[in-house]
Amino acid sequence: MIEAQLLNGVALGSILALVALGLTIIFGLLGLVNFAHGAFFMVGAYAGWIVYTQTGSFVLGVATALVFAFIVGIVVERVLIRFYYKRPPEDQILVTFGLNIVLVETVRAIFGGKTQLVPSPSWGQGAVQIADFVYPQYRLEVVGIVALTLAVMWLILFKTRLGLIVRAGIDDALIVNILGINVNRTFMLVFALGVAVAGLSGIIDAPIVAVYPDMGTDILVQSFVVVVIGGVGSFAGAILGGIVAGEIVSVTTAFAPDYGQVMLYVAMALVLILRPQGLLGVEGRA
Amino acid sequence: MKLGPVGDRSGLWVEGAVALFLVLFPSIFAAIGAGTDLATRILILGLFGLGVDLIFGFTGLLSFGQAAFFGSGGFITAYLLIHNIVTNSLAALAIGTIAAAIFGAVIGALALRQVGVYFAMLTLAFGQLFYFLDISPLRNFTGSENGLPGVPKPTIPLGATTLDFSSSIGTYVFVAALYFIGFVVARRIVRSPFGAVLRAILENPQRAAAVGHRVPRYKLVVFTIAAAYGGLAGGLLGMFQGYMPPEAFSIDQSGEIIVMTVIGGSGTLIGPLVGAGVWIYLRQELQNIDAIAGIWKLILGLVFILLITGFRRGIVGGIMALARRWRREG
Repeated sequence: MIEAQLLNGVALGSILALVALGLTIIFGLLGLVNFAHGAFFMVGAYAGWIVYTQTGSFVLGVATALVFAFIVGIVVERVLIRFYYKRPPEDQILVTFGLNIVLVETVRAIFGGKTQLVPSPSWGQGAVQIADFVYPQYRLEVVGIVALTLAVMWLILFKTRLGLIVRAGIDDALIVNILGINVNRTFMLVFALGVAVAGLSGIIDAPIVAVYPDMGTDILVQSFVVVVIGGVGSFAGAILGGIVAGEIVSVTTAFAPDYGQVMLYVAMALVLILRPQGLLGVEGRA
Repeated sequence: MKLGPVGDRSGLWVEGAVALFLVLFPSIFAAIGAGTDLATRILILGLFGLGVDLIFGFTGLLSFGQAAFFGSGGFITAYLLIHNIVTNSLAALAIGTIAAAIFGAVIGALALRQVGVYFAMLTLAFGQLFYFLDISPLRNFTGSENGLPGVPKPTIPLGATTLDFSSSIGTYVFVAALYFIGFVVARRIVRSPFGAVLRAILENPQRAAAVGHRVPRYKLVVFTIAAAYGGLAGGLLGMFQGYMPPEAFSIDQSGEIIVMTVIGGSGTLIGPLVGAGVWIYLRQELQNIDAIAGIWKLILGLVFILLITGFRRGIVGGIMALARRWRREG
């Protein structure tokens, strides 16, 4: 049983890592904490789910979630977010929180509040035998998909010109601007990229948790915890934090089901007391 | 934040105006076809919002975890009364309020290690911790997702007799009296030397620290006070509804009280009450219009975004700015 729970922790943790990565990139470069991140997760899940049920192709659904969330990210950044880069952080939080309400309620108005079950894709149904227990195949594939996405994100951030600008911008946006780089456009792309990753996470998670308008709320808070545990602005920190958080929830649930979620926040408090900058965070940046 | 100088007593008319309003409020609501219960609910959230305003509007600390105190104060008060551990409503409220303040001091001590966005994220996470504690490990005390039904209406034993506030207007009077005390206390706080330091922290924490104020201590004290306001309001909610709902602990509750405070005007003590009034009254009215019953929250969400973007001072702050300009020009 414990092996199965450990694997569950990896599956949950990998989704959290992906969501937290989008959050931490947006925050790292734009200095903006996106309280609507969970709503984008949900929007991606709905977009993917519709295409998936219409066409029967999960891959097409995933592609739709990614592209649709990216477009929504561009639109939201141009229409709203870009006016907030120079506002105090409290205003940024309030406006993204308002955006969260609007996105969730729009989806609720269109699709209703009902929970919609999403079947696993044809290539993810059934279970596999691992050692002496069977495990749902799709959850293993989720870990694979997330690993692949993280690899692509790593390539974008560490091997492209955009990534170079992003990383330089996280270190010192002012200097990057002085060097004559169009930070404005980079900001837009980074915001949309973070949102797209959130949307992708949503459709990948959909067969595990089903889709409903509030599905992003818990994920949002948990990914905050991941960022606090892993360290802000750290690529590796998001992954480590995600896995640690996933394992804490899963393993605690195995022994004391009532305390699964509670332990997550206790762990966060401990990290905060013992290592305020997070496990892999750089001191002083926070 | 154009308040009078410290120690200025000239502003007692504000307290008088609030008292007069509280007396007239049920009649005003009756005149526009809204009930006394709606007025009571607005006062309860206005009281909750006073605490939020003290930390956010006057000190600049944006907490997304205030539901933790609203819920814990509410459930402790409700539990004591339901099980007859305490029969005096005021005593039960006092215990719930003090307990919420203690939780506030503990969470504040942890979350205030960080500032700005980190503080907001941490308070949100601690709020969720309380929510999950309520739902799972403490379900034998809190009724988990069912909440606690059967909370008695407010009564105060006075020697041989008992003051009974169980009628609709009686509950209003009980809540209004406590709201008034809460308002006066909050006003005294922001106009005291302590309040002056809070405003200094709001405007520039580094400068406040540089001139020798112990900024962390001030933040912790005001955060604890805000938690007490939340706990008191939560206790009143249970008595008023006769039922303590688990949603009192939810993120939505934490978010809604911030939205109300900002709509009304953070940094003005009347703001939270006006915001609660607008939000709750509009919710009620919009839900009664068939065409938009399902999207009332969407509409209020859009209004909120517009307010944040263009009218950051909220309703009361905007009116005060207009009045000042008018006075200057006139």
